[in-house]
Amino acid sequence: MEFRLVLLILTASCAAFVSGHSYEDNRCKCVCPSPAAVLNNTDAADRSPFMKSANVPPNKCNCENVILPRVADQIKGREQEFCPRCECKYENRNTTIIKVVVIIVIWVIMLLVVYMGFLICLDPLINKRAKASYQEHTNEDDEGSLGGPSQQLGARGNVLNRVTHQQDKWKRQVREQRRNIYDRHTMLN
Amino acid sequence: MERFPLKSSTPKMGTTYQSVYKKGGTASNGRGAHSTSEDDMVDITAGLNQAAGASVNTTPTSHGTFQLYEHSGRNSTASANSYIAQYFSSSAGMDAVELEQGDTEPLVAADDVGDAVIFSGMSGDDDIPGIGQYDDFHTIDWQRDIARDRMRHRYIVKKRQDSLWDLIKAAHDAWSGWVCVLLVGVCTGIVAGVIDIGASWMTDLKFGICPQAFWLNREQCCWSDTDTTFDTGNCSQWLTWPQVLGGAREGPGAYIISYLFYIVWALVFAALSASLVRMFAPYACGSGIPEIKTILSGFIIRGYLGKWTLIIKVVGLILSVSSGLSLGKEGPMVHIASCLGNILSYLFPKYGRNEAKKREILSAAAAAGVSVAFGAPIGGVLFSLEEVSYYFPLKTLWRSFFCALIAAFILRSINPFGNEHSVLFFVEYNKPWIFFELIPFVGLGIIGGCIATIFIKANIYWCRYRKYSKLGQYPVTEVLVVTLVTAVIAYPNPYTRMNTSELIYLLFNQCGISNSDPVCDYNRNFTDVNSAIEKAAAGPGVYRAIWLLVLALVLKLVMTIFTFGIKVPCGLFIPSLALGAIAGRIVGIGVEQLAYNYPKIWLFSGECSTGDDCITPGLYAMVGAAAVLGGVTRMTVSLVVIMFELTGGVRYIVPLMAAAMASKWVGDALGRQGIYDAHIALNGYPFLDSKDEFQHTSLAADVMQPKRNETLAVITQDSMTVDDVETLLKETEHNGYPVVVSKESQYLVGFVLRRDLNLAIANARRTLEGITGQTVVIFAGNTHQQLAPPPSLMLNRILDMAPITVTDQTPMETVVDMFRKLGLRQTLVTHNGRLLGVITKKDVLRHVKQMDNEDPSSVLFN
Repeated sequence: MEFRLVLLILTASCAAFVSGHSYEDNRCKCVCPSPAAVLNNTDAADRSPFMKSANVPPNKCNCENVILPRVADQIKGREQEFCPRCECKYENRNTTIIKVVVIIVIWVIMLLVVYMGFLICLDPLINKRAKASYQEHTNEDDEGSLGGPSQQLGARGNVLNRVTHQQDKWKRQVREQRRNIYDRHTMLN
Repeated sequence: MERFPLKSSTPKMGTTYQSVYKKGGTASNGRGAHSTSEDDMVDITAGLNQAAGASVNTTPTSHGTFQLYEHSGRNSTASANSYIAQYFSSSAGMDAVELEQGDTEPLVAADDVGDAVIFSGMSGDDDIPGIGQYDDFHTIDWQRDIARDRMRHRYIVKKRQDSLWDLIKAAHDAWSGWVCVLLVGVCTGIVAGVIDIGASWMTDLKFGICPQAFWLNREQCCWSDTDTTFDTGNCSQWLTWPQVLGGAREGPGAYIISYLFYIVWALVFAALSASLVRMFAPYACGSGIPEIKTILSGFIIRGYLGKWTLIIKVVGLILSVSSGLSLGKEGPMVHIASCLGNILSYLFPKYGRNEAKKREILSAAAAAGVSVAFGAPIGGVLFSLEEVSYYFPLKTLWRSFFCALIAAFILRSINPFGNEHSVLFFVEYNKPWIFFELIPFVGLGIIGGCIATIFIKANIYWCRYRKYSKLGQYPVTEVLVVTLVTAVIAYPNPYTRMNTSELIYLLFNQCGISNSDPVCDYNRNFTDVNSAIEKAAAGPGVYRAIWLLVLALVLKLVMTIFTFGIKVPCGLFIPSLALGAIAGRIVGIGVEQLAYNYPKIWLFSGECSTGDDCITPGLYAMVGAAAVLGGVTRMTVSLVVIMFELTGGVRYIVPLMAAAMASKWVGDALGRQGIYDAHIALNGYPFLDSKDEFQHTSLAADVMQPKRNETLAVITQDSMTVDDVETLLKETEHNGYPVVVSKESQYLVGFVLRRDLNLAIANARRTLEGITGQTVVIFAGNTHQQLAPPPSLMLNRILDMAPITVTDQTPMETVVDMFRKLGLRQTLVTHNGRLLGVITKKDVLRHVKQMDNEDPSSVLFN
């Protein structure tokens, strides 16, 4: 189960690498008040601040290099008043990490949902044997060293048997957890 | 042992000692109840002479339990399975008593009996598999585990000279603790990065999508947009759902579509989260901190820190945070880090196979969890020390420090928010505060304490109601209903609609150019260059924002009460911070307007008379947030450190301390317990709080089991058969049995655990020939007579010959202290040197509850 999951994630992320767009990873973000507000032009309608982003090297990330060329016509020589109002910040990010992480998250959720659907719908049909008696919740770490018939059976049988055995053990544990929490309310209330 | 007088030689029933307590001690009569009247004398007879002789032979100080890990220095020349035979003294003529008296030095058998290396940690195979581990819902024995580790360590040190390989193994053993916490730190950082990125993307999915790169959230989508206005925060690349459907961006139709999408997405996320938790890992629900506290205090919950819990907690956390429920990801982050610590500790047998040592790694992991949750490494270490850990030696402190450092570094290099910090709501402050402001800060502390008390009481009431009523039978439905109500109420109010972390960021922030929210709608004059951001009259936007914030405060408080405890991963750091930040911001705006309107009054001592701003509402929000969080969790030191690491300003330590202290006082006065302790009590976890004091006058004899008229189940050291032992195991449910010289004398020899006994007998039946029901089981004593067939079963290796004992007149204060400080699992009670009863941790917890007039049956588990 886990191995398959990892494999699928790998293929999915490879596919995503091929088809992805490229977004820039650096920006210089400047936030300035509207020139109208600074210069007190009562006729200008928009007084809300604005933000400009540009792709410039870090040492050029300031009002003079980023903002002034764009609003020079509105300011008309009053740069000394306008620029101190601006906040410029150089920022970087890594879109590749974001892309990979988000795709992995989507894949994991989808896999879990599919597996949950399998357990709810198909699994009861496949093995109809009703487990009337609930078995004692055993120590998960012992299982390897405790030996016993189940372990030997797993070693002798093929991989499928072992996986089934592990799955059964896990299901027992989850059932026990569910009893504790949802039925008996002894924990995590 | 000989110094106890033996009254007569006629054997009497060992149960006569039960008559010691005629009246059954209660707290009121305390010590005085047990005057030395005639009846109080214990009338126990020493058993057969043989037994007495045996007890002489058996040195009480020899380390029975720890011989489990003793071994011969020589390599075994015997066949592979012959070493098992060694432990169950076969008829080879080995003198077990002599071996026992070999003290702690490795035993060198004088003859050719096979020696074996039986180190659980080193060779990977125990003599009897499973010894040294615990069953589900059991308490660990710190003393025993730490002694086991010491023995193992001594062995490795001794072995070091033998070969280069052993030297390498010793070196590996020495640094494995650091390597383990390094790995835990790295993994915690990575997982935290995944959660941050995933949750921020999925949260924005409720509002719209970035069609060109669907994996980007709104902020990242508009990252390189050259021209963004602040009206909507939207850019051309980011499409809201009405736009995706081809409609307009604005207008009533768009609003309704957005509303519907918001609700539907929230329901989908919450349903997924709740059903994944229910299906795969029910232990992944809740915040996890009460359970981590209990586990760290020495309790076993199997599967609570397992693989599936980890996966489901991570995925479920992303989903439930994105669903817009009033919850945070910080508390579960501690649980996730502890899961990682537990899983990774299995790579290092030193920690994986020793529950007490494993808890050192878990403490470090908890520190890493807080470190990544708040970007506060030192705060994380202090949180681990102050709030969650139980046993915290200095060595663990350094490891926690290292672990927190690594985790913070990794998360910082992932840079999940693109703001060079590991939390979204990092703010940088460098404004001075004036002395007068301490008064509103303390006031905020009081408000915070009140809000916190309301929250704790209401939440505990609701959780108790859920526990005992039919509501608890519909966990998924409950999640869906809470989500639906939250989403329907939250959307219209912009302050509840936005992500809670963003709300906190907004409230913490000071009003500047870049802040166009109504909360910063001041009548500012931008024309004057020289004054940076001067104080100004609040505009209509601010007053509207205050009303919305008040509504948001009420809504968040109510919703968090109903949310904390539903069956999805949910923490309460963020909601508490938000509650406090809202209250603080409102108070801050009030004080600011006071300073603006009356700058000259004596309160401000002239500091506000200039145009400069002297009051920063954002700082009030921060102090308020600290106050509520402090009231809810009752943290003090770690909280202040976390808060100043969040803001990067050491300058505000005094305000934060004042608020945290005031909040803790108010909280303690109004309600005794913090939220985590209250939840521990609600669930009845066996957590013996080291903060509480035991102030009653009861004695050990009042608490011990068995009570009057019951017999104490004991095992004799060398006269019971396998059948007898198995009958005893079947008929009683105790988790351990004292071993006595004989039933008549009740002289204590040692203590044996039920689990070990079961395992050892099962193992002997499997591996040894000739074990029948009639085989005599020998724990200690003279073995010379047992050479004739059928061979006896030697179980001296599972016997703890150094159990902690107290006398029956020991005050419970002392006993409780011993349980706390030594981390005992049980202690044996003796009278005149003879065994009288047992006190387990559960008995102590029950007694404490009884003394506090609480229901003693609420303590669960073994």
